[in-house]
Amino acid sequence: MSATYAFLPLARRYRRYRRHFQQGLVYLLLTAGLSFTLLPFLMMIFSSFKTNTEALRVPPTFWPQHFTLENYIKILNDPKLPLLKFYLNSTFVAVFNVCTTLLTSSLVGYLFAKYEFRGKRLLFGWFLTTMMIPAQITMIPSYLILARLHLINSLWGLVIFSAVDAFGIFMMRQFCETLPNELMDAARIDGASEWQIYWQIVLPQLGAPLATLGILGFMANWNAYLWPMIVLQKIEVRTLPVILTWFNSTHTGQPAVVMAATVLIVMPILIVFMFFQRWIVQGFTMTGFK
Amino acid sequence: MTSLAQGKNASPRLKSGLAIAKQRFVNSVTIPLLLYESLAIFVLGWAFVLMFFEYSPGRLGGPILGLGGSNPFVGLGHFIEMVSGNSVRAVLFRTSLRNTLIFAFAVLPLNLLITLPLAWLLEMVSRYKTLYRTIYFMPVLTSSVGVALIWMSMYDPQAGWLNAILRALGGKPVAWLSDPRAGFAGVSIAMWAVILAYLWQDYGYNMVIFIAALQGVPQELKEAAMIDGASSWQIFTRVTIPLIQPTLLFVCVMTMLSSFQVFDIIQVMTNGGPNNRTEVLLLDIYKNAFRYQSMGWAAAEAFVLFLVVMIVTVIQMRVLRTRWEY
Repeated sequence: MSATYAFLPLARRYRRYRRHFQQGLVYLLLTAGLSFTLLPFLMMIFSSFKTNTEALRVPPTFWPQHFTLENYIKILNDPKLPLLKFYLNSTFVAVFNVCTTLLTSSLVGYLFAKYEFRGKRLLFGWFLTTMMIPAQITMIPSYLILARLHLINSLWGLVIFSAVDAFGIFMMRQFCETLPNELMDAARIDGASEWQIYWQIVLPQLGAPLATLGILGFMANWNAYLWPMIVLQKIEVRTLPVILTWFNSTHTGQPAVVMAATVLIVMPILIVFMFFQRWIVQGFTMTGFK
Repeated sequence: MTSLAQGKNASPRLKSGLAIAKQRFVNSVTIPLLLYESLAIFVLGWAFVLMFFEYSPGRLGGPILGLGGSNPFVGLGHFIEMVSGNSVRAVLFRTSLRNTLIFAFAVLPLNLLITLPLAWLLEMVSRYKTLYRTIYFMPVLTSSVGVALIWMSMYDPQAGWLNAILRALGGKPVAWLSDPRAGFAGVSIAMWAVILAYLWQDYGYNMVIFIAALQGVPQELKEAAMIDGASSWQIFTRVTIPLIQPTLLFVCVMTMLSSFQVFDIIQVMTNGGPNNRTEVLLLDIYKNAFRYQSMGWAAAEAFVLFLVVMIVTVIQMRVLRTRWEY
């Protein structure tokens, strides 16, 4: 390296040194941030493989000294914790809500983009308004309605208020507006009905935004905590985040087991993220929606 | 020629046929939609009415939605009590409002101080960009309950890492989440602890948005400034920042909105303690509505939270928009 620098005039040599120094500093800072982001995850994973006595040791160990799977075995064999059932509960709610919102968002968004009808502006304005109203305003009456319908402690209670998503409609309208009218008109000349046009012509065109909306919706549903906690009061119907806090409160003083449960509940979604990371990150920046 | 004439004759009939088909399609979508939306309006109306009543679902009230009777109408009573009352719940409301403001106004600048430089640094490097971005983004997708449990074990007074580091540096261990007296800069240490956990979970999100905005800044403008002899710091403050102003506004509004509605992390980590030092509005609303069954009061609190969020959003839009006029 220094041999190449020797041929350069002093000022340029200085500038190149400085650039290398700057790049090095940038990587150093970024890696410091990276470690800060990663260390809590690593700590969680390593703690889950410790024995309980080691997890309680002062000062704490980083690597497990006696690597053990006993925490995982204990959780998976716990009859009071049918983990598979909770996974199915969470999956049911997330998949059902994603499917209904994708269907309603694309259909209503398409309607707003490509059809003229009376009261259209009023209806769209109403959707924009509901986007602004935070969920905790409607939380209490929604609960009272579910109580009257006897849907407390039912997974259907997490589903019925989530069928229409104002944000999804807004986003789908934006995408449908970019579709050329000739596409639908050609299908009409070929004798397609309006429903066929939506289902066979429009929907396939919306693949990318639907995937984005679907992934983001799945993440939001999967991690939801407050509303599922209110609706699902019985243990066996709960979703994963709610079960995790319950598990924590029933296993005080056993940090290794709690960390193993956290790993089992947190890691699947992160592994999925590893595969779809480009799409997910693009989705978040494209929509600015959490 | 004949076909053209036929087309001309046929067109009104065809058009009206098409118009009917379209109208039928519109109706078959909008009618169920309107029914569903009337449910939403009903829910919203109920939420609005509730805050003028001393309502509890356990009591038998009047015939309409259980309002009236033993769930009496109190008018603006709840709001008057919030401002000037000395009852336990009124004092707790004021505490939680103050804590929410502290939380939000601490999170926003700290978040910007982390995310904007990180995004800027990440834009300067050429390799491992995706790797960095992926890892920084991981906490965003982690369930907040998981985040809370991970940080609780870090904050553990005995076996936690933070106290291990403190002891190694010769300091005294701190009860991060349970000491009501310990504080820093006038804010309790428990509040700082939940703020740190919240920031850790959240910064990847804003960072990714800033990266997208920075990529949108035209390279020519930066090069022109460099030729004029501007340092990279000057380019950042004088060229980049003004150009990403709309994104900055968006990020400020969204970060404020979500931190005013913080719930999960605090409910799991401290449940409002120690001594209500981390009691925030949404947590207070949740406790009043679903633990103490005092739903009229909780609905009034929710309305205040909504108003605060609206006011702060409007102020932010005003302040930041005037800047991007020039």
